[in-house]
Amino acid sequence: MKKFIKNIPLPLSVIIAGVLIAGAVYLGTSKNASTTAVNNQQPQQVPQQTGNLDQMAAISAGDHIRGNPNAPVKIVEYSDFECPFCKRFHDTMKQVMDEYGKDGKVAWVYRHFPLDQLHPVKARKEAVAVECANELGGNEAFWKFADRFFELTPSNNQTDVDTVLPQIAREIGLDVNEFNTCLASGKYDAHIEADVQNATATGSNGTPWSIVVDKNGKKYPLSGAQPYASVKQLIDLALQGK
Amino acid sequence: MLFQALQKVFRKPIYILLALVTSFAVFAFAVWLPNISLIVKVMGHPGISLTQKLDLPISLLGSIVTNFTLLSALYTITIAILFGINVAIFVYFLRRRITDVEQSGIATGFFGITSGVIGMGCAACGSFLLTSLLSLVGASGILAFLPLGGGEFGILGVILLSVSIYLTAKKIQNPAVCKITI
Repeated sequence: MKKFIKNIPLPLSVIIAGVLIAGAVYLGTSKNASTTAVNNQQPQQVPQQTGNLDQMAAISAGDHIRGNPNAPVKIVEYSDFECPFCKRFHDTMKQVMDEYGKDGKVAWVYRHFPLDQLHPVKARKEAVAVECANELGGNEAFWKFADRFFELTPSNNQTDVDTVLPQIAREIGLDVNEFNTCLASGKYDAHIEADVQNATATGSNGTPWSIVVDKNGKKYPLSGAQPYASVKQLIDLALQGK
Repeated sequence: MLFQALQKVFRKPIYILLALVTSFAVFAFAVWLPNISLIVKVMGHPGISLTQKLDLPISLLGSIVTNFTLLSALYTITIAILFGINVAIFVYFLRRRITDVEQSGIATGFFGITSGVIGMGCAACGSFLLTSLLSLVGASGILAFLPLGGGEFGILGVILLSVSIYLTAKKIQNPAVCKITI
């Protein structure tokens, strides 16, 4: 190995390093970055998308909204129930809603982005489960289910879904039989896939992926579980409508 | 030997400063990487005050705690420190016009930082740079088979940078001279 490295001329090593880093950064930040998604059945290459925040699906009555639906600032979060950073960011967002939600200044919109490559089967099933909670108990049940799920589970694909999902359904007062029937029905598969496609269309490379929308419709991207201080600064900017 | 060589380089405060600045730059690059487009957008906005423009990137540095695993935070910080040291000793060589620098040390250093940069940014779920590179060849599913989910590249970066520092330090302590044998 040492001999191999020794024989590589220095300028060549600099060029290779530069090309690899620049290429990776370009691909990672490019608005035309392609993203691979895998559905439950078989690996599938998502067609080349234009990663553009303006491609975010409009917020509608069909969305899961916490807080004032007419809030001047809306944070649209694309999340994966098995992602440990989404679990962490969920608490940050609850803190945001404690500070800004009560006055109706900020609304939190939850969309699905299960990463099948990293959390096969489980993340998508959990996304279906929370949709079933919404069907059976409304928007309040959706958020109760999501809060309890993140509180209870270890993330990183370690959740025992067969036990935990009905358990939470029971805890929040849903009919477990109806919940299980809904879970097996596959009726929300298309809805979740549409969220996944929309997340990639807006340029997401991972989760949590959030888009802060101000009162004028201007959008700010926020990638990852960023600290509360950063989210707060972004919200304050958005509230100013700059 | 390594300690003595580093002592020789860092005797002058300018090299300490260079190492610190480089280390901070690498660290900031790693932490800001997922949000470069946000930072660019805020920095380029004419209606936002300078204080607000500076506050955001400063607060985003805190994501080393919230957006990294313990392992990825450790190797990101280690890579930043090692790269800073590497650059300082490299400049030490250049300033002394030593022509017979053992290239293997520097080449290893560049491969080390490349591997480290590819492995870092594994902040949000879905390693940022690694996913992009693997997607290019349609192999992003390979991440599921890596026990550390791509963190292996970060660890490799730490090893290569350490080897680079060792090789370069060896050269500082034993410069290429014609030895007299008696």
